[in-house]
Amino acid sequence: MTAAALALRRPAPPSHAKRNLGLLGAGLIIGWAAVTLNIDVGSILELPGGSAGLFYEMYLESGPDWGYVPDALGYMIQSLAMAWFGTVIGAIISLPLGFFGAKNVSSGLVSNVMRQVLNAVRAFPELVLAVVVFIPIAGLGPVAGALAIGLHSVGTLGKLTAEVIEGIDEGPVEAARATGAGSLQVQRWGVLPQVLPEIVAFWLYRFEINIRASAVLGVVGAGGIGFILQQTLAFHRYPLAGTVLLVVVVVTIAVDTVSGFIRRRIIEGAEAKVTGEVVEAELRDAGPATGPPGR
Amino acid sequence: MIRFENASVTYRGGVHALKDLTLEIPDGQMMVIVGLSGAGKSTLIRAINGLVPPTEGDVIVDGISVRKASAKQLRVLRSRIGMIFQTFNLVKRTSVLNNVLMGRLHTTGTVRSLLGWYKPADVEIAMQALERVDIVEKAYARASNLSGGQQQRVGIARALAQEPSILLADEPVASLDPPTSHVIMRDLQRINRELGITTVVNLHFLDLAKLYGERIIGLRAGELVYDGPGAQADEHVFRDIYGRSLSAADVMGEDAAPAVAL
Repeated sequence: MTAAALALRRPAPPSHAKRNLGLLGAGLIIGWAAVTLNIDVGSILELPGGSAGLFYEMYLESGPDWGYVPDALGYMIQSLAMAWFGTVIGAIISLPLGFFGAKNVSSGLVSNVMRQVLNAVRAFPELVLAVVVFIPIAGLGPVAGALAIGLHSVGTLGKLTAEVIEGIDEGPVEAARATGAGSLQVQRWGVLPQVLPEIVAFWLYRFEINIRASAVLGVVGAGGIGFILQQTLAFHRYPLAGTVLLVVVVVTIAVDTVSGFIRRRIIEGAEAKVTGEVVEAELRDAGPATGPPGR
Repeated sequence: MIRFENASVTYRGGVHALKDLTLEIPDGQMMVIVGLSGAGKSTLIRAINGLVPPTEGDVIVDGISVRKASAKQLRVLRSRIGMIFQTFNLVKRTSVLNNVLMGRLHTTGTVRSLLGWYKPADVEIAMQALERVDIVEKAYARASNLSGGQQQRVGIARALAQEPSILLADEPVASLDPPTSHVIMRDLQRINRELGITTVVNLHFLDLAKLYGERIIGLRAGELVYDGPGAQADEHVFRDIYGRSLSAADVMGEDAAPAVAL
């Protein structure tokens, strides 16, 4: 075959039109967003100077107020409690809802409706839920914050739970059905043990996110560290605010580290140490029986 | 006794997996089903416990019609039929014991089973099932920590924990190497003989079928093309079942070469 004939068999390079169109679209959206924001270039240029000034007043002028650390820690613990309580509410409610939202264990109609409900819940940020719903009901304070965090978490955790359940191995489910188990029993022993490690990891990850949310919620009156931060800034008590910020950063990083460690242990831990054992088991399997039994 | 009465299974989409099958499997028999992939072996097995109910005709198991059974009756029927799978189908992230205890769910109340509070007598039955397949020392290990052969033994223990009168095995050794395959097949044979449990096994290795099958039936394109004692099934019979001449891939052989599926 000649070189020319060979070349004819080669495929034409794929068109880049789609990609270029996508890039163009993304560029247009960025431009539109910038115009809509009405960005004032001057104020952006002032930002570093302003921040430096604030930093000076918080940490350098008279140093952060170390004596305030115990108080700030107390408020931070209140924020952590708000985040923890909210996460627990979200976890408990989202688990059954996630089962209803998973196509493979619930029905098509039920799962579609449940997904839409979860999407709707998720559409409201904690801040909006707190200001519009829970502060009017529960009054100012951490309870309203915890409830707002909890409801928003139901939306996100429920959706993730449903997606994890849709990814399960159907084999054990068939095996459970074949034993004559009822449908709740099939969910409990055929589905739940398969998905629980991932779901618990999501719960912890959600807790990490909720810590940040709880700090912000304090600013709108839901108590905790955010409330104190807002107060100290409003009264220009910058050394105090500096202490509060330090406490927020240090505690958040500490909790993230611990939570992240636990998450990795849950997902990988037990499986990571396995490899050696399986090889050993296979050797044992192959050991005793070397041929068919006597005929 | 299991009786197929002109049973057919047609899947949505029009695939005829089983065609007008009439067959009787007496109590205590060890019957092996052979046939090519797609011949309807898995469907036949699943028609017995109603995982794939017949769309025409009927399957009668111990006097109960699989086709007419209510959901409750079907669960009762399934509880008397143990099932073993090619890919073991264990929940790998939980303990071996929890997997075997699945076999006791049918006698455990909903609340108890949701909380995992199995009765001590049921735990004892599960432990005895593990002892019968010689793997009780792994009771508290995670199922994922076991080798393929060990996982299949746990699968057998789960089925035995049901205290079944019938055992269905869908390609129980297709994912295992030859030596381990023989261990598993001998376990099934021993259980069949010692406990008198009717055993129906799908196999695609002809030598295994001949060796362990008290009776062999052959399926081709959903139809029964052979039914006779295992000892009498020779090369001609298998050629008829397969509709082609045999090759080395159709037998497992006795060397330790990895098993190649047909």
